[in-house]
Amino acid sequence: MKSNLLRGAAVALCLGASAYAALAQDAGDTVKIGVVAAESGAFVSAGHTLPAGVGLAVKQINDAGGINVGGKNYKLEMVKRDDRTDIATAIAATQELVRDEKVAAIFGSESHDFTLAMAKITQPAKIMHFAGNSTLGKVLTPDAVKAGGENHYLFQSEPQEFQRSGSTARGVLSLLEPLLGAKPKKSVLVVGNDATGQFLSSFYITALKAEGQEVPDIIFYPPETTDFSPFLTKAKSFDPDVIHFWYNGDSTLTALPQALELGAAKSYFLFGVDPGIWKERGLTADVPVAMSCVPVCWGASSNPNSKTYFDAYFAAGAPHGVTSSVSLLYHDYVHFLAKAWEKAGSFDPDKTVDALMSMKYSGVVSDSLAFNETHQVTHATEVCAAAPGGEITCSMQQPPEKAPE
Amino acid sequence: MIKFASPLRALIPVLVVLLLLALVPLMSPSNRFLSLAISAGINIIALYGLSVLFGQTGILSMGHAALVGVGAYTAALLARDFDIGFWGSIPVAGVMAAIVAAVIGIPSLRVSGHHFVIMTFAFGQLLTIILTNGGEYTGAATGLDMQQPVTMFGIALDPLERFYLLVIAFVTISAVASWAIINSSYGRTLRAIRENEKLAAALGINVGRHKIGAFIVSGVFAGVSGVLLAYFLRHISPGQFASFPSIYLALMVMIGGARLLLGPLAGGILVSFLPEVLNLDPVQSRILYGVCLIAVILFLPNGLIAGIADGWAWLVKVSKRAQASGDAREATR
Repeated sequence: MKSNLLRGAAVALCLGASAYAALAQDAGDTVKIGVVAAESGAFVSAGHTLPAGVGLAVKQINDAGGINVGGKNYKLEMVKRDDRTDIATAIAATQELVRDEKVAAIFGSESHDFTLAMAKITQPAKIMHFAGNSTLGKVLTPDAVKAGGENHYLFQSEPQEFQRSGSTARGVLSLLEPLLGAKPKKSVLVVGNDATGQFLSSFYITALKAEGQEVPDIIFYPPETTDFSPFLTKAKSFDPDVIHFWYNGDSTLTALPQALELGAAKSYFLFGVDPGIWKERGLTADVPVAMSCVPVCWGASSNPNSKTYFDAYFAAGAPHGVTSSVSLLYHDYVHFLAKAWEKAGSFDPDKTVDALMSMKYSGVVSDSLAFNETHQVTHATEVCAAAPGGEITCSMQQPPEKAPE
Repeated sequence: MIKFASPLRALIPVLVVLLLLALVPLMSPSNRFLSLAISAGINIIALYGLSVLFGQTGILSMGHAALVGVGAYTAALLARDFDIGFWGSIPVAGVMAAIVAAVIGIPSLRVSGHHFVIMTFAFGQLLTIILTNGGEYTGAATGLDMQQPVTMFGIALDPLERFYLLVIAFVTISAVASWAIINSSYGRTLRAIRENEKLAAALGINVGRHKIGAFIVSGVFAGVSGVLLAYFLRHISPGQFASFPSIYLALMVMIGGARLLLGPLAGGILVSFLPEVLNLDPVQSRILYGVCLIAVILFLPNGLIAGIADGWAWLVKVSKRAQASGDAREATR
């Protein structure tokens, strides 16, 4: 009896130990991907798209069996942290993900300032860092991204700003021309006065001029503005063909009704507002209104891959947002990174960078996503226009090859 | 002897708390905790300056984050243009913030009460506009990067645990400096102004000069706090020094209490860690802060720490009275 008991205990111990070993093995075969984004606070509109996009990609990869790196199978795990639109929290979250959670890569944040401060932690720690801020062009110099450079592991998942501004300006003007009955000649920019607004507008004004536009003024408004009438009155005084609203979609949707009420221009352009929101909110205008998405629209896309992606994205529980398409600046790059790890046969950051730089990836945004020598991608931008009757037409606009003088 | 021992009694609890906080890295806290603690510590340094201004002189500044910004930008510009590192920028940033405080203080303190609050708030907004439109020099809205490491005797202080201890050291210096001011004749002069400005003037105190002096002193604390912030975040931009951070600093000092040395410490820790501990989003946090502020103003007008101290004193008094009446009953029997 006693020996039976002992035998039973030994078997139970062995089973327990092997179960523990199996669990430990499972835990060891998971690769963590960190996300730092504003899931609350002022930037929530763009912020919530990051974990939604990354989470969908992680699920798709895991559902397909995970990734095979160096002959071993790994599952991905997303570890997300809300930065509460607060830089101290974003820094604390990055410290936690890098040092405590030991993530292999970080995606985010949606804010330029936060990303730069986060990179001061991720880069010395050799963590792969992807962010969709075109403003990163300032720090992604050839010297900074070379091996041993201060931003060697930092990647920009949005095209260079001259490319995005170039495709947007061309698309807006070409779509508005038939609706206005003549080519627009005079444009005024109304832009949020913060880091992103200043950076983007400096490129967009050049792109408009390259398209032959007369741009008499660029009007900056404080980011918290809700009453746009002083800025719109000033814009109206130039009798513009188009007022271009950059760059915060939520502010833009506040400004547009006021502009329509004032009759400030013959047509408008809303940067970063999806036609899906235009339709869902039943918005109307008695003049043509162009819109652009970053990078592909969910509401009325001309991109064949877009519908499948957004069906899955919204089915996963993500809300229909003004900037839901921003999720694509992250979703495709999780897949891209996973392929790079497989190609490198290792999670070694240097080998991963080499693999990323030598690959092309066919994603939702583009059939041939690739990083250039300064770790930036190139792809088209979708621009749409709503006619006064409500009909919306969209087109994918390829970027210019060179920055205009 | 009694005069010396009494003020020292106010400093000892702060030093004990700071000593305990300095031991935190030994408990292997998470890096998230350390990072948030560093941010809180940097705020507390500025709060000690604000406590001199608000707690001792009775003047509330709603543009204090802008003075922190002056310190941070001074450090970043010194590093970029003159290759002056952390230790060199500490005195320069303190002096720069003091000069800016004097420049704002001279016209602003001609008015009093809520007018001064509005003027300091306007200054905060103005500084943000200047920095945002400062072109390449201030880095415009994008801000400036910091590259220099922080070292002491050849030891790098950048690792989180060491930077935490560095911040604790600066908090200790700030607390001691604040204690020294409070217990000096200068501190007594400031309190006289706080209690009755007209009476103080009648006694021959130059009220205007002392109020500007208090604002300048609080500016030095803010400037030093700005240097630490710049070297911790490694990237600064105008938005970090706008109106909301100033309101938060005022909120911290009001909740913790500005008149007792433990007040800034408690206010800084509470406001920084409450959203973390209760897992609150920014909207919920602001509602909670608002409720806390109303509760403190109504029930604990001198702040949480003074309220706790008063409560403790009341409990001791009640228990002594109960004991005395018990003894009296015993004696009657």
